[in-house]
Amino acid sequence: MKNKVQLTLLIVILAALGIGITIYKVQVLGFSFNPDSEIEIWTVESRIDFKSDGGPVKISLNLPDNSYGLTVTESLHQASGYEYGVIKQENGVRRAVWSSKKKKKGPHHIYYRATIYRHQSAQKKKPGKPSLAPLSQPFEGPYLEAADHLLKTTQDPKKGPVENSVALINALNAPEKSDAVTLLLEMPRETGDSLSLARDLLLKSKIPSRLAKGLILSKKNNKSKLAKYIEIFDGEKWQLINPKTAAVENPDTFLLWQRHNESLVKIEGGSNAKVRFSSLKSKILANHAAIKGGQHKQSWLVNFSIYSLPISSQNTFRLLLLIPFGALIVVILRNLVGIQTSGTFMPILIALSFLQTTLLVGLTLFLIVVCVGLMLRSLLSHLNLLLVPRISAILVFVIVIYLAISVIGYKMGSEIGLNVTFFPMIIISWSIERMCVLWEEEGGKDVLIQGGGSLFTASVIYLFMQNSYIGNMTYAFPELLLVLLAIILMIGTYSGYRLSELRRFEPMGQEEEKQ
Amino acid sequence: MLLTTPGRLRKRGIVGMNMRNVVYIGQNNKRKFYPRVDDKLQTKILAEEAGIAVPRLIGVARFQSHTKKLKEFLAREQAFVVKPAKGSGGKGILVITGRDGENYLKPSGEKVNDQGIRRHVSNILSGLFSLGGKPDVAMIEELVNFSEVFDGFSFEGVPDIRIIVYKGYPVMAMTRLSTKESDGKANLHQGAVGVGIDIGKGHALNAVQHGRPLEVHPDTGRNLKELKVPDWPIFLELAARSYEITELGYLGADIVLDKEKGPLILELNARPGLAIQVANNHGLITRVEQVEEELQKCRRNPAERVAFSMQNFAV
Repeated sequence: MKNKVQLTLLIVILAALGIGITIYKVQVLGFSFNPDSEIEIWTVESRIDFKSDGGPVKISLNLPDNSYGLTVTESLHQASGYEYGVIKQENGVRRAVWSSKKKKKGPHHIYYRATIYRHQSAQKKKPGKPSLAPLSQPFEGPYLEAADHLLKTTQDPKKGPVENSVALINALNAPEKSDAVTLLLEMPRETGDSLSLARDLLLKSKIPSRLAKGLILSKKNNKSKLAKYIEIFDGEKWQLINPKTAAVENPDTFLLWQRHNESLVKIEGGSNAKVRFSSLKSKILANHAAIKGGQHKQSWLVNFSIYSLPISSQNTFRLLLLIPFGALIVVILRNLVGIQTSGTFMPILIALSFLQTTLLVGLTLFLIVVCVGLMLRSLLSHLNLLLVPRISAILVFVIVIYLAISVIGYKMGSEIGLNVTFFPMIIISWSIERMCVLWEEEGGKDVLIQGGGSLFTASVIYLFMQNSYIGNMTYAFPELLLVLLAIILMIGTYSGYRLSELRRFEPMGQEEEKQ
Repeated sequence: MLLTTPGRLRKRGIVGMNMRNVVYIGQNNKRKFYPRVDDKLQTKILAEEAGIAVPRLIGVARFQSHTKKLKEFLAREQAFVVKPAKGSGGKGILVITGRDGENYLKPSGEKVNDQGIRRHVSNILSGLFSLGGKPDVAMIEELVNFSEVFDGFSFEGVPDIRIIVYKGYPVMAMTRLSTKESDGKANLHQGAVGVGIDIGKGHALNAVQHGRPLEVHPDTGRNLKELKVPDWPIFLELAARSYEITELGYLGADIVLDKEKGPLILELNARPGLAIQVANNHGLITRVEQVEEELQKCRRNPAERVAFSMQNFAV
């Protein structure tokens, strides 16, 4: 009983862990079960042009942030002769810094390129209600009156914050400005511009708002500058409003570059630094993007996983990860269905060979090798050989059969026969030995049952293994191995009937009815 | 009907392969006790120590050097059997029924000389017949002088009685009769006839071949209902006592009947099969549950256990 509880607990933990990590990878990291699913990515390039004074130069660029579900997956820069580094400031702003001891006087440029994608389910969690920030500059005297008047005429308490904001910005943008607007625009400002004024007015009417600079990637951005936007909080999420047109933009493809009053580019030892942006849209596989994104984010699930290995090892594991799946099928077919196989895991290895030879060719070659092998093995029966020399002799037979099939096939102009070498010869030798012993002890019928069972199992495993969805699942979600293990443990304690026993004991079930 | 339902089988108390492995064998048979039955020499020594009737052990050849002394050693033996201690599926058993001068005689009348015996023993020692080819020892035991009561029930050879013992209680019994189809082998799925035997009285219950009931032996034509095992309580007691020597909770005892010595245990099996349920047309679960219930109450000696089984499991 204690064992049972332990086992149940173990199964639950394994399954929960495996499924949990999988859900996390799908929801947060953007992995997909569909191997062909593609997502849009954008390559955003910024080009910094500047003039060097001829001495040491240090340039820093404000970097884009992950926001609104856009994820920066990859960033690279093109600037020779610079030392490069990324610093994170106290207010959370990341800046790329290029520094060089000496640069020739004159114009220079640096490229910075980031690959960005958006995952569908990203950042569904709601932001908390932000507190109202203080005004950048208080309204005083006539300006206060004008601001109050403007707010009274544009703000309608019955409408939502978005509509009110749009109304306010429209009023500020109106070609024929009202007196209040004219007065406010003329107000001397210590910092900021008319955008700050709009934000102050919004804050004054208790709408949380902030300024943002960035690119809307879905629009054409060629040699463009960062665009300025006002973000307002509508009670649930931040909305993006274009201050020029007062239009509410779709924030899904908004790449936030600057939020604080941070300068975009700083230069020491040079002048005239300008940044121009361009973006290009393309598509890549979702899982590829997820892996890149995970690596960029330093997610340990991606960092300490198969994807950190060299490609050749990854390919090996791609195959190895299919084997536990084959084992599960063997367990199901043997313990739940009741199919007999010769050798427990022989069908998995045969299925792996089928992956190389394809099914029909593989089956044919396997049958030829085993049948010829069995015939030759029966010659050994009378010789009363000891076990190890006997298996060794069969191994020699098997190699000779491989060779014969390859040569005869090739001479007849077919290269199909060459595939025979994909079969694991040691396993084939043992199978032949076991089948032959079975033939002597139990008769030919049992050999057919077990041989057929083995080939059937191998074919089923092959069909699963070459399915691209299964391949993707085991490779993109290795943690599903834990779930697999849980299922295997569960079947390990299954004490119910096998499907084949419903046939075997069928007469006994029948008599129950008669009685 | 091609298939039955799990519900019906459960109702009849049929034990499936998974249940046998996980529950019956897994929970009752400790790994470390397996050699007591897998090594027939150990079984025999344990049985002789406990005074359980087995065919008498004449000698054991353990090393190749022993083969040279065989002639001298066997000089006074008329009939004997040479077999591997860890053989599987009846392989490597050499039966000698008599002498013809210097030569030995096989049941078929074929002559075997001293050289032949030596080679056979040598093959056994090098593991030719043992599972996985491991080195083995050769046992030489007395030939069972089979009683004639089962004549005509089997196509070839003499049937033995298989009794399933659960925690010391005999719960079910059967005998396997070879047929022409099974090629003289007592293997049910090769076409041998399985006959369930009543635990209460030792007479045949019903017979099946290929899982279907039948009345008479397909080759000898003998009415299978007439089969009755003499000295039945002794059979049961032998089986029950094998629990004490092996400590295996789920056990199959194969017992033969000698003309003079009565029932003898031929071999024990830690993984007895499930076909016995078909031959008896009865499931094991109900009987095992009865035994478990009885075990809650008290521990009993073999004779009491046999009495309990004869009373409760009679049909």
